[in-house]
Amino acid sequence: MTESAPGVETWKAHTTAFDRVRSVAVSASGPRTAAEIAADAAVAENTARDHLERLVEMNVVLRGERGGTTTYAPDPLHARAGSIRELLDTHDHDGLIELKAELQERTAEWAAEYEVDSPRELRERAADAEDAATTRRMRADANDWELVAHRLGLVEEAIRNYTTYSRSGRASA
Amino acid sequence: MAQGFPDEEFTNVVAELDAVVVGREDATLTVRWFAGEQPESDPGFSFHYSGPDADFGWHHEPNPHVDGWSHFQRREQWGSAYRYEPHSFASLAPVRVVWEVLAKLDAELVE
Repeated sequence: MTESAPGVETWKAHTTAFDRVRSVAVSASGPRTAAEIAADAAVAENTARDHLERLVEMNVVLRGERGGTTTYAPDPLHARAGSIRELLDTHDHDGLIELKAELQERTAEWAAEYEVDSPRELRERAADAEDAATTRRMRADANDWELVAHRLGLVEEAIRNYTTYSRSGRASA
Repeated sequence: MAQGFPDEEFTNVVAELDAVVVGREDATLTVRWFAGEQPESDPGFSFHYSGPDADFGWHHEPNPHVDGWSHFQRREQWGSAYRYEPHSFASLAPVRVVWEVLAKLDAELVE
């Protein structure tokens, strides 16, 4: 455990053990063991395991197995729902449509600049770029393109289900 | 606010900062985060402060001026060259990186 690492003591002072386990678990890129999550969350392994099992029950993380060891990974469905909720809380219907247009414009600019139709194609072209600086720039743009494409999908889902999902769209009791 | 949305199977990172953290209202802290092209990939990210008094940041991404991905870069004036120093993050977990950078940011601004 790296409790003396910069920022850890301040983090512990401002959060509970459950908060830290949850924040580490839901931001992982893939399955991790309770021991790995405990180390990053600055908690004991048993504490991490207890909190992770609670997060499984809450459908926040998914339990799995790797070589006989239990692993925990973010539930993509939970993450997606949270992102859409945030969009609905920060944009009205017109705002979502405007955001969609902005994201579409960004992807169109990359497509026009590099004459490719997807981030995957851009990565393939980056491999053949004439110099290292161009390769880095193209890979960075491909990464950003992936993020924008993902966000565009969320925005489109929020627009399609605006009435059902938005708080203002709910029927009063 | 800094937001990263990795590939759709994964989650997002959100951080909210205000002028109290950054130190000045005319300064910015630009955060970029990419979780990697594969689930097992190391993330690429940067936290870069720009203000009238300083321009520096912690980066974890390829850079021709340093060996390895993690480094600190700083320049004293606009237009001057950056100096680069190796850096080692205690953890690459997003939330840990945020707290580590905030602690170091505070110390760097005091200097």
